[in-house]
Formats: sequence, structure tokens, C-alpha cells
Amino acid sequence: MPWDTIHLWVRRLFIPILLAIPFFTDRYVQYVLNLIMIYVVVGIGLNFLLGYAGQFAFAHAALMGIGAYACALLMSRLAFPFWIALPMAGVAAMLVGSLVALPAMRMKRVYLALVTLAFAELIQWILIHWKTVTLGTDGVSLPPTQLFGYKLTGDHPMAYVILFVAATLYVLGQRVVTSRFGRALVALRENEIVAQCSGINVTKTKLYVFALSSFYAGIGGGLFALALGFIVPDGFGLFQLVVHFSLVVIGGLISMYGSVIGAVVLTALPELLRDFQWLQEIIYGFTLVIFILFMPDGIAGLGKRKGWLPREILVRNWRDLEQRQRSHASQEGRK
Amino acid sequence: MSPLLLSASGLTVRFGGLIAVNEATLEVTEGEIHGLIGPNGAGKTTFFNALSGLVATASGRVELAGVDITALAPHDRASLGMRRTFQSVQLIPQFTVLENILIGLHDQIREPVWRSLFSWSGRSRAEDLAQQQVLDIVRMLGIEGALFRVPAELTFVEQRLAEIARALVSRPKIVMLDEPAAGLSPSEVTALNQLLRRLRNDWNLTIILVEHVLSLVLDVSDRVTVLDRGKVISRGTPQQVSSDPQVKIAYLGDDDHA
Repeated sequence: MPWDTIHLWVRRLFIPILLAIPFFTDRYVQYVLNLIMIYVVVGIGLNFLLGYAGQFAFAHAALMGIGAYACALLMSRLAFPFWIALPMAGVAAMLVGSLVALPAMRMKRVYLALVTLAFAELIQWILIHWKTVTLGTDGVSLPPTQLFGYKLTGDHPMAYVILFVAATLYVLGQRVVTSRFGRALVALRENEIVAQCSGINVTKTKLYVFALSSFYAGIGGGLFALALGFIVPDGFGLFQLVVHFSLVVIGGLISMYGSVIGAVVLTALPELLRDFQWLQEIIYGFTLVIFILFMPDGIAGLGKRKGWLPREILVRNWRDLEQRQRSHASQEGRK
Repeated sequence: MSPLLLSASGLTVRFGGLIAVNEATLEVTEGEIHGLIGPNGAGKTTFFNALSGLVATASGRVELAGVDITALAPHDRASLGMRRTFQSVQLIPQFTVLENILIGLHDQIREPVWRSLFSWSGRSRAEDLAQQQVLDIVRMLGIEGALFRVPAELTFVEQRLAEIARALVSRPKIVMLDEPAAGLSPSEVTALNQLLRRLRNDWNLTIILVEHVLSLVLDVSDRVTVLDRGKVISRGTPQQVSSDPQVKIAYLGDDDHA
């Protein structure tokens, strides 16, 4: 099994390589890599909601904005240290996101999409017009940041902080989707009746997934503010939302790999197309449509079908079980 | 006589002007296989849906082990130990059999969130336990070879059994099977018959069986309730019911079963 061997080595070498990368990059490349890691966090968050749970909610960019603003304002105006401001950004987005979830309990598909889109516009409007707090369209700049005495200014120093947060949230996300909660999400996406008759409280599960997804968006927003050093309301509008949707659809819905692949493609591609900026939105929209029509499970889905990527079964340590099952079967065979 | 486990009294379901279930009464005692039969359109599936809480009832009362569950949501009824299968097999298409069956253990995988998220080893004791339960049930049903396959890769019988496994894995008090023999070959029906007997005898499981294959129902059931046009027209042992003139009339009116 050559792919199995490759997967094993990738898994062994992954963390050392990630840790080594910042030693070999210039500032610009590192900046792009930081953005990729941030979009991994944002993508995982949206994938919980849009992928696993199948909820057509359009507030993710606005919630990322809330996280970014919460983090930036807490640091610049109240002089909070980064390590407190970042989790608070996640919590702020989570609270607001749960508020969006309330109408979602009763709505489906297009109605949910409309309500969340309107909500996103409202957030945008508040960020622009509530000048005394948000400084409006002037934007907010982050003060020079320290983390326990370690200077966080510059793309290389902050790379490790972003890597730490993104890796932690990836591992936690992986554990979430391989838990009973992750399976319940897909069950309610596919068949609410079966979910209910199996003891899954659909309302509660929906509320939790909105909260969780918003938390990821908020943390992503906080890191985004850190990486950019300066944020404006416009950064969290419709275009940001299109990026998020393209990310999870092109990367792959219902897949942790999908969020990573999507983040790489969607962040690297525009940087490569820098000279054709006017084309960006058209390319995004076009690719999105192509994928929805012809490859609804995204690049990760293709990779899994071809065997390039390992299977994703939403069961903790399922490989051990498979191993046990195989040895049991061969023992039975010998009898 | 064993105590009453499930009782429905005066249950009525209306869809607009249509009365799908009319003042139906059902009494199921612990450890019995109870057949629910009736010609097409008699309201059997609607009655099932009302028992599981999927459709609203206009009147009547449902009790499970002495607890009034009339107003409970489907997931609460499931948590109290009431599980079911569906007339057409309902499996999650992108899930393997393993994941599909684990859905049935949702409310039994109990573990503090922090323990499942932050365990250093990455193991979860509740999940390990649940996996063992799934392993036990698939071995019992003989579908352990299908554990890591998705529904599209299964034979029809395997799909049926996977759905039954999902209903059984949590060791419920009562299981409601909606036409489990539909689409099975005669030898598969015989195997199903044996399985149902084994579940009753070894697990003391209570089973309600809606079924079109009358030979199976009359053979395996301890007692039978007959529905016709939403009304209960007969109840009793299979012998009593099959010799009831009213039942004969109801079935003779239906060409499929004449």
C-alpha cells in the first residue's frame, strides 16, 4: 500500500516541517502562510456549519469581523494583552453567533440564508456607523503586541503563535467531528427524522453547531487582525463571505482536509493572480459554480476517492477498530 | 402475566379532514412480539409515527412503562428506550455501517466535553465502549464484514440489518419494526423470524411488528392487533385474529391479500 506509507510519513514529518518553515521564508511568503493558517481556522468553522450540519448560514464573514474587531478594540482601546483578547474575540463571536442561531431553529434553506445575510449586513452597518466604538471606516490599528515578553510584531514572530492556535483548533475540530456530536451533525443534515428517532435533540445540536462555528470564526478574525495589523469594516463584507464559501466548497465539505486544502488554494491563488486583481472575483465565482456543479465534494472528495487522502470516518480511533476487526476475521477464518 | 410496557389509548391522528387513525388502542406487554397488521392504507405506519412522536395526535394518550409520553418529542421517546426502523431503509448515505449504527448510541455516549476534547492520548473511553457495543451487535446480526462499507456497497439484506442494528444497539426497551421483511427472500424471512424470537427470548426485548408478510406475523407474534381504516377491528392471539370474521372481511376487500 504505497499511499498508506506516504500518509504515515506525512503524519510523522508534518509537525517538524511546519515548525521549520519560518526559517526558510521571506517576509512576504510568511505573511501568505500566516493567512493560510488563519483561513484554515475560519474554514473549519464554516465547514462545521455548512458542511457537516448542512445549514445555509451566511453570517460567517460578519462573525469573523466581530472577532477581529473584538480583538483589535480590546487591545488598542482597553490595552488587553493578546492572550486574553483572542479567546474573548472567540467568545464574542460565539455569543453573537448563537443569537443568529435562534431564528435558524425554525427556518430552513433559503429563509435561513436570507435572515443570516440580513444579519451580516446589519453587523457591517454597525461596524461602519457606531464610530465612537469601532472608529467607523477609519479602521482600527493594533498596538505593538507582546506575548509574555515575546514581541509579536512582524510576520515571522507571529507565525508560531498562529501555528499554535491553528494546530490546536485543528486537532480539537478533528475530535469534535469524530465524536457523537459530529455524527449527529451529519445525521441531522441528511435525515432529521432518523436523527430524532435515534435520540438526537435536533434543536440543541443546531444551536451548539452555530456557537462552535462562530467561535472558530471569531478566533480566525482575531488572528486576522493580528496578522494584518489594521482592519476596516469593508474587510468583512460580501467578498470575504464569497472567499469563505469558495474555501469550503472547493476544499471539500464534510472534511477536515477540505478546510486545509481550501485555505491553501484560496489564499495562494489570489496572491499568484496579483497582477490580475480585477479578475479575482470573476474567477472565484466561476470556480465556485464549476465545483458545485461538477465536484460537489471538492478537492478533498476527489482525493479520497482516488486514494491520495485517507478516508475520513467520523469515529474516534477507527483504525484501531478496523485492525481488531481484521485480526478477528482472520482468526475466525483459521478455525 | 407480564406488566404492560407500552399502551396507547384512544389515539386519533387527523390530516386535515382525513382521520388516519381513529381512537386506536394498543396494549403491548413486556417481552412480547406484538404484530400490527391491516390492509393497505389501514393507518399502520401513521400509528407507528404517532407512537414515536413524529406526527401530532388529535387526542389520546401514550404511556411507556407507566410514564405518560404523549407530549414528548421523538428524541425524548428514543432516549426512554423506544427505537424504530422505517418502511424504506433509512441509512445515512455517506456514513459507513459503523457510523450509522453509532448514531443509535448518541445519547448513551456520555462523557464530559473536556475529557473527550483534551485527553492527551486522544482516546475516549465512552467512544471505545460504544464501538464495542457496535461490534457486539454486528457480530450477532452477522454483518461485521460490512462495518466499514457505506450503504451503497451493501446488499439489501445488509442494509435492513444495519438499520435494525441501529435500533437495537442501545438495548432499548421496545423496538418498532416497520415492515422488516419487505423485499426479503423466503429464506431471509426465516432468518428474520429466528432473529426476532432470539431477541425476545434472550434479551426479553419487546417488539412491535408492522408487516405485510402475514405468514411471518402470524407465526412469530404472541399477540396481534388488526387495524382497518384507522380503527382497531380485532385483537388477540394469532389464532383468534385469523379466525375473526371481521378480519376476513377487511382482508377480502383488499385484492393483494385475498
